Amino acid sequence: MSRPILELRDLSIRFGALRAVDGMGFTVERGTIVSVIGPNGAGKSTLFNLVSGAIRPAAGRVVMDGTDVTGASPMRMLRAGLARSFQITNLFMELSVAENLRLAAQMLEPAHRQLLPLRRSRRALAKVDELIDRFELAGTAAERVGNLSHGEQRRLEIAVALASEPKLLLLDEPTQGMSHGDTDETAAMIRGLAGELTVLLVEHDIGLVMGLSDKIVVMQQGTKLAEGTPEEVRRDPAVQAAYLGTGAG
Amino acid sequence: MHDGPRPAAGTPRCLPALRGVSLRWVSAAFFLIALALGLFGWAVGDSFHLRLATEALILSGLAISVDILLGYTGLLSLGQAMFFGFGAYVSALVLKDLAPSFWLAIGIALLSGLVPALLAGLIANRVRGVYFALITFGLAQIAARAVYNTRDLGASDGMIGIPQLRIDFLLFRVDTSEPIAFFLTMLVCIAALYAVVAYFLDTPFGRTLTAIRVNEKRAPFLGYATRLYVLAAYVVAAEIAVLVGAIYPILRGFVSPELMFFHASGNAVINVVVGGVGTLIGPIVGSVLLTGLRSVVSGYTEHHLIVIGVIFMVSVMFFPKGIVGYLRDWLERRRARGGSARR
Repeated sequence: MSRPILELRDLSIRFGALRAVDGMGFTVERGTIVSVIGPNGAGKSTLFNLVSGAIRPAAGRVVMDGTDVTGASPMRMLRAGLARSFQITNLFMELSVAENLRLAAQMLEPAHRQLLPLRRSRRALAKVDELIDRFELAGTAAERVGNLSHGEQRRLEIAVALASEPKLLLLDEPTQGMSHGDTDETAAMIRGLAGELTVLLVEHDIGLVMGLSDKIVVMQQGTKLAEGTPEEVRRDPAVQAAYLGTGAG
Repeated sequence: MHDGPRPAAGTPRCLPALRGVSLRWVSAAFFLIALALGLFGWAVGDSFHLRLATEALILSGLAISVDILLGYTGLLSLGQAMFFGFGAYVSALVLKDLAPSFWLAIGIALLSGLVPALLAGLIANRVRGVYFALITFGLAQIAARAVYNTRDLGASDGMIGIPQLRIDFLLFRVDTSEPIAFFLTMLVCIAALYAVVAYFLDTPFGRTLTAIRVNEKRAPFLGYATRLYVLAAYVVAAEIAVLVGAIYPILRGFVSPELMFFHASGNAVINVVVGGVGTLIGPIVGSVLLTGLRSVVSGYTEHHLIVIGVIFMVSVMFFPKGIVGYLRDWLERRRARGGSARR
């Protein structure tokens, strides 16, 4: 069996008296979709921040592809092949859709092209074209991101995260605030990603997660309540009591 | 299968533009008008205004320096005159005590300028926003005070007697005592500086600065070492100020601590804001217009600072994007109308 792409061991961080994440550990196998679910305030986003380098854990290890990357900066994590999206859209609102994608895709280019004319960054620009097609953004490519609809911004958020061709993609509530139609489309798109990379997902929408994930990790008050396949998690009595309620799914 | 022609491999369809309208023609027009006015001044033998225009061009280099930080990287420096003054003093010392060579003075100024640029950059880069402004302000005040109290640098009197030069450009020489020759040299220098800076601001490096201005917190998650970019921008901006500062004493024949005082840094910021923050050509336009205005107004009243202050306030209130910023918006609107009319 190949080694997991991401391994979290006993991750902990506290904010004052609050144990936001407390001894969390699980593995993410290559090419799978793993979802983290849990009620508001369970520590899902904090866990993402610990993994993506936004916050340094107080204790525990983050091992990516066999390398210990605990406490590495977001920049180093991206260069190691981890890209993330944000729950609250976090893009360059004053810049165009294409330029947002280009900024992210620029990491495909060697550093010296930073000082050469933009047209020399062919690979990055080809990536922009590809993502514009794939995410159906052609009509808005030259538009400022701030002028886009919420749904379009959410889609772009995922596209930007993909532009650096990461090995591991962290999606923080990608369908937050989306319409039903958009949510279904996004779910299909995430499922399509499984072949080319690994996805770690935080979601509220249980239905979406159940249909999508190879593995689900349930969080409650900073700790792991359960872990397993969607079916195992659905049947878990602790999960049923704490989160899903009776007969959910 | 796809119908119709597909773009050739490696030919991007989409070359993201930073702004809808390029200011290339505005810049070309500015430099041509400046050239025409300069030649007119030469024809009528007006060396006072030629030298004033040369000074304005030198100061526009300082404004470019401010705009790289303010308009592109999003950092307000209130101490850019420190580097201008540093260049001026180093150049004065070289020209007086070492050799009257333009290239030697510029070279030594730029090389030695790296030291304060990196030092101040490392300190100021630790903070953002109003704290960045205050740190740069404080550093410049310290530097100005230090020069003011150093007897070897002429203390409060500064240094006089910096010689006129012949600048050797290999194919020809420029005599700096000739007002038109000096003016044309500076016009070419600033046009070249503008072109080089405009080029770099449109490369991926320069666009990263813009990304940092727009959303600095997001950039590290795209793999950018933001602090390194900001430091690089700071050092480049500082060196541009050093460069034009090193030319200043050749024009005026003296240096004084006032070159580093706050009003010099503040004037540069005002020139940028009135001309148009983040337009690059705007700061040059602003410097030229306001340097001219300051000279004219101070001919009528001692209280010219009041007049400049009122102009600054009116400009910020009614033209917050500055002269060129306003012009660019107008051009963009006009193009958008033309585009929709064609559809």
